[in-house]
Parts: sequence; structure tokens; C-alpha cells
Amino acid sequence: MTAELKAPVYLEEKLEQIQASGRLDYRSGSLPTWCPGCGYFSMTEGVTDALNELGLKNKDVVCVSGIGCASRFPFFVDVYGFHTLHGRTLPVATGIKTANEDLTVVVVGGDGDGFAIGGGHIPHAAKRNVDITYLLFDNGIYGLTKGQTSPTSSMGFKTSTTPYENREQPLNPLMMVLSYGASWVGQAYAGHPHRLSALIKEAMAHRGFSYLHILSPCVTFDKTDLTYENMNMAVQDMPEGHDSTSQIAALELAASRERPAIGVFFKEDRPTLNDNLDNVARSAGGEPQSKPAAVAAE
Amino acid sequence: MNGTDIQIAFCGSAGDGTIAVGDILKQAMALAGFKVIAFDQYPAEIRGFGKCVSRTRITVEQVYSMKQQTDILVSLDDSHAIPHTAEVRDFGAVIYDSAPISLLQEGEHISGHLNPGQIPYALPFREISERATSSNRSRNMVALGFVAGLYRMQREAFHEIIARKFKTKPKVVTTTNIDAFDEGYYAGAAEYRFDNVRVGEPPEKNGVEAEMLSGNAAVVRGCLEAGIDTYFGYPITPATTIMERLTVEMPKHGKKALQTEDEISAIGATIGAGYAGARAATATSGPGLALMAEMLGLGVMAEVPSVIFVSQRGGPSTGMPTKTEQSDLNLAVFGGSGDARRIVLAPTNVEGCWRCAGKAFEMAEKYQTPVIVLLDLYLSNRYETVVMSPDEKFVADMTLHPDSKQDAPYKRFAETEDGISPRALPGEAGGIHTITGLEHNDMGRPNDQPDIHTNMSDKRHKKLDAAVDHPGITITKRFGDEGDVDVGIMAWGSTFGESLEAMMMAREEGIRCAAMKVVMMSPLPIEPMTAFMDSCNEVLIPELNYEGQFATLVSGTLGRPVHRLNQVPGTPMRVEDILNQIRRLAGREARNAA
Amino acid sequence: MSDTPHLVIIGNGVAGNRAAEILRERDKDCRISIISAGALLFYNRYELPHVFRGRQEWPDYLQHPPEYFADNKIALRRKSVVADVDTDRRKLILAHREEVGFDQLLVATGGAGYLPERLQETRGLMHSFSTFKAAMALNDDLPAKGHVVMLGGDMIGLDLARTLIDTGYRVSLVPGDRTFWPHEIKLEDQPQYLSALQTMGIEVVSHGEVERIEDTSNGKAARKVVFVSGEELEADVVIPFYGLVPMVDFMSTAGVDIERGLLVNPQLQTTRDEVFAAGDVCQIWAPESKEYRFYYGWRNVRKMGEVAACNMMGDDTTFSSDVDESLVITADGGIASPFWEYKA
Repeated sequence: MTAELKAPVYLEEKLEQIQASGRLDYRSGSLPTWCPGCGYFSMTEGVTDALNELGLKNKDVVCVSGIGCASRFPFFVDVYGFHTLHGRTLPVATGIKTANEDLTVVVVGGDGDGFAIGGGHIPHAAKRNVDITYLLFDNGIYGLTKGQTSPTSSMGFKTSTTPYENREQPLNPLMMVLSYGASWVGQAYAGHPHRLSALIKEAMAHRGFSYLHILSPCVTFDKTDLTYENMNMAVQDMPEGHDSTSQIAALELAASRERPAIGVFFKEDRPTLNDNLDNVARSAGGEPQSKPAAVAAE
Repeated sequence: MNGTDIQIAFCGSAGDGTIAVGDILKQAMALAGFKVIAFDQYPAEIRGFGKCVSRTRITVEQVYSMKQQTDILVSLDDSHAIPHTAEVRDFGAVIYDSAPISLLQEGEHISGHLNPGQIPYALPFREISERATSSNRSRNMVALGFVAGLYRMQREAFHEIIARKFKTKPKVVTTTNIDAFDEGYYAGAAEYRFDNVRVGEPPEKNGVEAEMLSGNAAVVRGCLEAGIDTYFGYPITPATTIMERLTVEMPKHGKKALQTEDEISAIGATIGAGYAGARAATATSGPGLALMAEMLGLGVMAEVPSVIFVSQRGGPSTGMPTKTEQSDLNLAVFGGSGDARRIVLAPTNVEGCWRCAGKAFEMAEKYQTPVIVLLDLYLSNRYETVVMSPDEKFVADMTLHPDSKQDAPYKRFAETEDGISPRALPGEAGGIHTITGLEHNDMGRPNDQPDIHTNMSDKRHKKLDAAVDHPGITITKRFGDEGDVDVGIMAWGSTFGESLEAMMMAREEGIRCAAMKVVMMSPLPIEPMTAFMDSCNEVLIPELNYEGQFATLVSGTLGRPVHRLNQVPGTPMRVEDILNQIRRLAGREARNAA
Repeated sequence: MSDTPHLVIIGNGVAGNRAAEILRERDKDCRISIISAGALLFYNRYELPHVFRGRQEWPDYLQHPPEYFADNKIALRRKSVVADVDTDRRKLILAHREEVGFDQLLVATGGAGYLPERLQETRGLMHSFSTFKAAMALNDDLPAKGHVVMLGGDMIGLDLARTLIDTGYRVSLVPGDRTFWPHEIKLEDQPQYLSALQTMGIEVVSHGEVERIEDTSNGKAARKVVFVSGEELEADVVIPFYGLVPMVDFMSTAGVDIERGLLVNPQLQTTRDEVFAAGDVCQIWAPESKEYRFYYGWRNVRKMGEVAACNMMGDDTTFSSDVDESLVITADGGIASPFWEYKA
């Protein structure tokens, strides 16, 4: 772990700094219900940090969550939120962003929500290049329902539904999303919160479908496999000279699972879904509508 | 019935242009001023030589269903038309090609299958087409012209419709078709008529132009007039044409229409858009609605507006994609987990499709809930002459915005007298909130306490009660005898048309009889339905499903016994069958048993 | 299906329908088909003059209601013309290119109106009277109290003439060697009968042979008869009544003997065992005169239908006519003919 602190840090000063930064404006009053030490805390920090640094108004942000430990996420941030159904965050987020182009939409969900039941929707969100940010929290387990195997659980992992050990090879989400043609793909680690914040900000700033894969332990139900200890050792920086404009290079990098790289795997700029729909309207002789008439003006 | 009332059926193979001539016929007759109801049957397969039947009923007075018997049958392909000779009445006409191209085995030509009472007309369509246009591809136009000439129909109206139909094609296409039509017309006009089919003059138009609209086209019109903002949909027979038309029209108004990867995504995006304040809709059929059930529950629980058009077809499961049925009522009213009451509308004719579509958007916004509009394949694909009133408008904005002077924090699900809470939309200041599929308190925060769940269940159910009084839409209407009657028919969807005709025929036989159409299936308009049933000695509920879904709903909710007439033929219910039941219930002998 | 014998009758007239009736009486199960060129069900041609008495609905003339054919399982193919008969394969080929198989065949197509060669060119200007459609067309084209010129004057025409005179029209007759057909009245014997016609109100025209017919209408259905002699006669309509010729062209390759009509033995069987004939279309062997001869008239034709049907069922009946074929002059000076009789 790289030493990030060179000088002593005093609590009062730190609190003043945090309050002055403005990012607390993006926190709701509710106390999070996650287990102490859960990666979601870092993620929440990262999201509020990013919203603050990007200068987005609370009212113009919508947070969409699926079912899982991610469910409650929208309740802990002071923005509009929609806690939807298991695996269906991306369609709902697509609907929101399509209806009102001026909103910033952030999607939060876990590995089960995304790659088990929700797997069918990811290719299409990527394909359409919907301008949303998908923060995929991967802890290789179903935490909310108290610890079942997920599509990204390691081989040999023992849970209540694989008591004889998981015999199946896990999915490789990064390779999948890269092959779907997502226009921004990155990977972060909850154990490195500052880097996580920076990547969240970059993902949100990207114009198009941004997929950020966030590795995290489940401190309560996985005490052997994906722990902070193991992951601290496994994660690595992006290799020198990685070409983030090459989908193939990104795929190769993503293929190695033992040493997950942290950073931006791939990015490109191409028209978003709303760009395309607006152009369709123009080609039909219409004036594109950016948001519904029902939304009150500023 | 005063004046013209004839039904013409064109029957041929896919590729014979059967549907095309049926289309020209109905448009021309509508243009001439007649009232028209038309329904086409397509083959289920895409390729091959499946059967197409195009039926058009042309009248002077308003009618509500197709006729059981056809007056004129035109065969463009004998192998397909032969089974349909049975539906032609005595002294009706059967028109066919007298010179087929290949040698036929015994029984392969339609002339050998006519009833003695039917009148044959034979013309060499193919040869005439070759002579007039140097190709046999226009033989369908020759046949159409022959019918028009035989019955002295308005030739100019046909020319006008043919010109409109091909206006985007090279001029020669129009002239070729008109030439073929005219050749047939002259032959028809010169033919000696032995049938007793009467086609009179159309009524005066008095400046009123009727349009030929299908149920699906009327739905699209209603959506556009209500200001639809987003459409997400997945192709499924028979709802696909709704999406096809909207993807063409909506961009012209700057709006967005998108085909999704499945029905779950379609309803998910629709509800997402509804949350963001858009007037959002999707369209599907039974199997798609089944997939959407979970999302509907989310829309109900989170109080998000959305509109779902469902065109029912034969079920269960994949069922019969090109046949009509009314067996998704249970799914529409109850589908989804838990007590998830929502608004369900079911129009009975094409004009109703337009009205229910527009009103669905109004109600979705006002009552903050999913609204399902139930059509069926027959209604979706049926064409009727409709006079659209330019003065009727759908109310553009029914969103209840929060009072800007309210004190923080904003409560999305605040308790109100009518159960409808002011709704802040993403992008609006002072209204930040999160909605969820979990049970929640008035702030929208997850809460599973007994009083919270009870109160919220109350709110979600009671807020819909007022929907029965929503302005500008007739959700029940009584026809026929006033006061006490022997037999009352309560019907919904397209079956109401056949029920109305059966009721009128029963009255002519001296039976005291009335019919009520019910357009809102949830919440049920209990008061007028109860009043109606109180005045009937016996109540008959005919519907195209096996389990009597509406009958069960009615008798269960109102606590009254009803008589059921349940059929699942895949085709519209026969007026005669309803009439026989009415006779039976009135204590008369059933006649002309099927 | 192929086990049930298919008995096919070509022709929808008195002979054919009577035969169908008898066949069905005798055999409840066999398939019976009647093939008719026209569009209508069996109607009585002899009643067509009634069109001028206000009976103008064709169902009025039907001898059987439509249900009769369904009830008796007699398949009626209308607007079907037989183009060819292949007796070896036992198949008919209809003009609309459909093959129909038969086990036994009865040809009862009757006769078509004969027209002398010199009048063939102007046939379009003349009216016919052999079908309901033709009768209605004549009625439509004839103005009230109009003038009808009949050429030839066979018994069908003279029957019509009676009705026309009775209903206020004017009738002129141009006689020739076919006048009074099928009665065989030699020219030298004609005068007394022609006087009888005049007594009935028919004007007998004595300008000799007809050269041609002209259209003088300029829009109206008016005609002019021009004689070889140069004389002219104006008319509203001109109708040829030169007797009938049997309709047998389609049988030319069937392998049966044909003279003017189909040649049959007294059992009405042709030279092929499975093919019978009845009515105006056939010539029956008369042993006493050693010739094949025609029999005309409703009674004869009907009886032929019965005999043919019985023999198709395996009987060995012989046709004999009980009709007195003489043309008589009645007490009030008109004529009467057995060929005008058409009721049982």
C-alpha cells in the first residue's frame, strides 16, 4: 500500500476541510446500514466527491439502484433516487436519461444484480451508449441475502448454496463489457478510496456509457477469498504504456484475473443514445425535445 | 336495417394482393360516404402461400360487428377460397377466375363447391390483366374492378384511392392499376346479375369526412394527441404496428421512440421515463404483459405513471399469435405480486381505442399509476370509419406539482384527502426524494411497520376510486330497453359489438333486452353495473375466453350470479350464438342451432 | 371416394334433371353431378314467354328450390362448359381446365338455335330467346306495343308469338322451310297453317328470303330486315327461330358415333357402353323406319331422361314415344301443337 500521508493529520482540521469542500451537501441525513468496513462507504465518498467536484446540482442528479446491498444507496445521497427491481437498473436508467437529457444518472448495483439476472440488459446499454454511469460493486457474493454464490465468485468458494464448493468458472465482467463496446471501461478498488473517487469522477464526466468495475470485499460473509488482505496484494496499477484506445489491448489486460489492474481500460467518444435520437428527430423534421414539458422550469 | 348492408370477402394466397384490394375497397367506400367495418386475416407464417382473407362490411347505418354471412366472395386463389364458400349466403355472389393457368384435378376449382343457392360469376382475371397491363400481377385489380362494376360502385372513389395508394411510386404504377381496375369494371357493368345483393347510394356527407382507422392506428393517434414523450417497445403480434407507427411519427414532434431488447426493458424504461415526468408508453400482447408483471407492481408501489397498451391474442403462453381472444383480463387487472391495483381500460370499438389511449395518459398522470389499455387482435386490426371530432382535446398536463411554499422536507407520499400526493420531478428544486419498490413512509423511506403498510395500501387503492368519474370518457353505457328487462348483456372489448347487434335482434323478436358496455375493468364502476343488473331478470356475459374472466370478476365483485357464454374460436364471437343464449334465457326456443 | 360410382350428366335441362331425379331414387349413395354451362338452377325454358306477363324474377321459374339439390346430394356445377371428353380414361375436361372423372356419362346438352349461314354475320343484331337472360334482354329492348319480326318461326317462336300478341305487341313472321319445326310441314302444305297463324294475329310476310339485317337504331334498338327481293321491313327486334341443332362438338373425340346428333340405340346407349344420351341432342334408332331420328317436346325429352337413368342403373328399358306429333288446326282457327305442352 502506497503511503499517501506524509504529514500528521489532525481530526478537527480534517473535519473543517471536509465541511468546507461542499461534498457533504450531497449526503442525505440517513445513516447508512452497511456493515462497518464495507466498500460501499468508500463508494459513497467517491460519488459525493465526484458530484461536488463536477459541480452538479443535487436536483439534476438521479441515482438508480438495484436489489442488493446497493439498494439503499440512493437513500444515503441527497439526490433524486429510484430503488428499482433486481437486475433492471439499466432499463430504468435508460428511461430516465432519455426522458430528460439534462439529468445526470448514476447507476449502482452489485455483481449479482448486474451479471446474473441483469446480464441481458448490459450489452444494450453499452451498445446504445446511454449517457449514464454504471458503478458495479463486485464482491463476488450475494451479501444482502446472507452470502450465496454469485456469477463472479471464485472456483472452490463455499457458500450456503454451494456447500460442496463452487465448481463453476466465474464470469469476467470487464471482458464482457469491453466486448459489448462500452465507450468507457475502468476498474477501481474500494481499498484505495482516493483512486476510487478519481475514477468515479472520470466515469461520470465521460459522455456516454461509463462502466466502472469496483472490487470490494464482503467483510461479513467472505472472510477467506476476496478479503482486503488478499486484494491489497492482488491489485496493481495500470501497466506502463497501456493503450486505452485499443479495445483488444483492454481485453487482453482484462483477461488476467489474478492481478486486477486499477485504472481506465478503454475509452472512446461516440454519439450517445440521446445524440442519435435527437438526430433522428431532426432528420424527420422535428425539433428535439430535451425534457418533458411537465418538468417545471428553473 | 335501411339501405345498403353488404359484406364482401376477398380470399387469396399471400402474394395475390388480397389485402391490397381489400384496403382499396374499404378506403373507396369510406370516401364515397358509406360506413365501413373491415377485418383482414393474415397467415401466421411469413413465407409460403398462406391464406389471406380481407372482409369489408359496407353500410349506410352504423353497425358494430362483421356479419356472419358474406354477400360477395371473390376468389383470387381457389384452394384458399373453397372452404369459405360456406359463408356466402343464398342468392349471394361467388366471383372467380374462369381460366386458371394450370390443369386442375377434380374439385380444385371453386365452381364445383358452390351451394345451389349461390350465384357464380366467372371472369378470366389473369387473361384480362395480361391484356390490359402485359402482366398477370394485376388480376386482383381486375377482380376488384369487376365487383365495383357489377354493383355500380363509385368508380371515381376507387380511382382516387388507387392514386393515393401509389402516389410515392412512379406514375406508371398508378396507371397500370387503374387500367386493370377499369377493364374489370367494364366487364362487371356488362354482366347480367342473378344475385340479389343491393348496393344503393351512399348517404350525404354534409362536409363530414370520415377516416378509416384501425384500432392500432387509433391508439397511435390518441398517443400523439395526448403528447406522448417516450415510447419503448418490443415487437410482438399484434401490437407491433403501434411501435412501427410511433417510431415514424414521434421524431417528427421531437419525441423519442426506441425498440428495446425485451419487454422487461421496455416497461423498465417506460417507468423510468414516467418517473422523470415524461408521458411514457409501451405496447405489447399477453406474453409480454406477463413479463412486465413485476415492473407493474413497482409502478404501483412507487406511484409512477405509465401507459401500457395490450392487444390480446390467443393464449395461454405463445398461444395463437394471429388469432383474437380476450383472455388476458386477469393478468391485466391482477398481474404482479401483492395487492397491486391499477387502472385498466378496455375500449369496444376503434373510436374508443383513440379515446382510451388519450385518457390513459391523463389518468396515469393524475392518479400516478400504471394504466393498462386492453385491446384484442380483432380490434387492433379492424378498420372502421370514424369521424374524429376536432374539438375534443386531451388535457395536456395533469401532474400535481408540489406547492413551492411548502415546508421542507418534501414528502413524496404525503397524506392527502384523495390519496394523490404532489409529485416533484427530477430536475425540480425542493423536491428531492427517492422512490422504491419497498413499502415506505410518506417520505418514501423504506418502512415495513403494520400501520405504515396498512395506510399506504389504503392510499394506493383509494386514490383510484375517483377514476370511475374521470371526465371525457364513458366507462359504462346502457343500450336498448330502459327499465326492467328479461335479459341483460354485459360485455367488454370487441365482443360488445356483437352483443349490441344480438340485443337489437332480440328486441325485434319481442324480447325485452338491454346491453351494457363496460370500459373500465379496474377499478370496476360498481354503481352503474349494480343498477344495470338490478333491472335485469337474467344477466349474460359473453366473452372470448375459456374461463369467463370478466364474468368471474363481475359476479365476485358484485356478488351476483351471471350466465356465461365463453368461446375460444380465435375469431370474433358470432352474433347468432349470443342471440341464441338471449332467447334461451328469455324462455324462447333457440333457432338455427350452429 | 373412388368406390362410389360417379354418374355425370352434362346438361341442365328437362332430360338431365329428370334423369338425376330417377338416379337418386334408384341409388341413395352414388355420386351424381350435373354440369351446366349457365349460371342458373334448373328452370323451365318453356315458361320463358311469361317474362312478358310480368314474371321477371328468375327464382320464379325454378323447377326445384335450391334445397332440393342439397337434400338429394346432386352436385350442380354451373358456368361449366365441357371442352373435351376422354372416354378411355373416363375423364371430362372442363373449359376452365378442371378434370372430372366419371363412371357413367349422360349427355343431355340439348340443342342450340340454328342460324342459316347468310345470317351469321348479322347475328349480333338479332335477339335470341333461349335463356332467361335472353328473354329479359328482349323484354328490355322491346318498347311497349313494339314490333317483333320472327324469322323462320319454329314452334318455340310461335309459342312466344302467342304471348306477345296477347300482351299487346305486334308480331310479323317471315316463313321458310323451318317454319313449324319440329313438325315436318312441306312448303306446299304450309298455306293452311299460315292462315291459321294469321287468324291468331300473326302477320305473315311474303317477301321471300331474307338478305340481311341492318341496325337503324342510332342509339335505339331498331332494326330493318332487308330481303333478297329488295323489300324492307322495319322492326324493333328481329328474332331467328330456325329450330335447334344438337350441341355435340365437345363429343367429337369421345369415340361415339355422331350424325347430326349422338346416335343411340332404343335403350339410349351410345356406341360406348358407359355413355348415354337423352333429349334434343340424340338420334334414336327406329327399327321400323331403319333410321336414327330425333324426338322433341317436353314429354318425349322427359321420358328419355327416365329411360336413360333406368338403363344406367342396369335396366333394359326401351324408349317409345306416345306423343302424337301432328300439328293441328283448332276449332277457332288457330294452331295447337304437342310441342307446346310442358306440364305433367
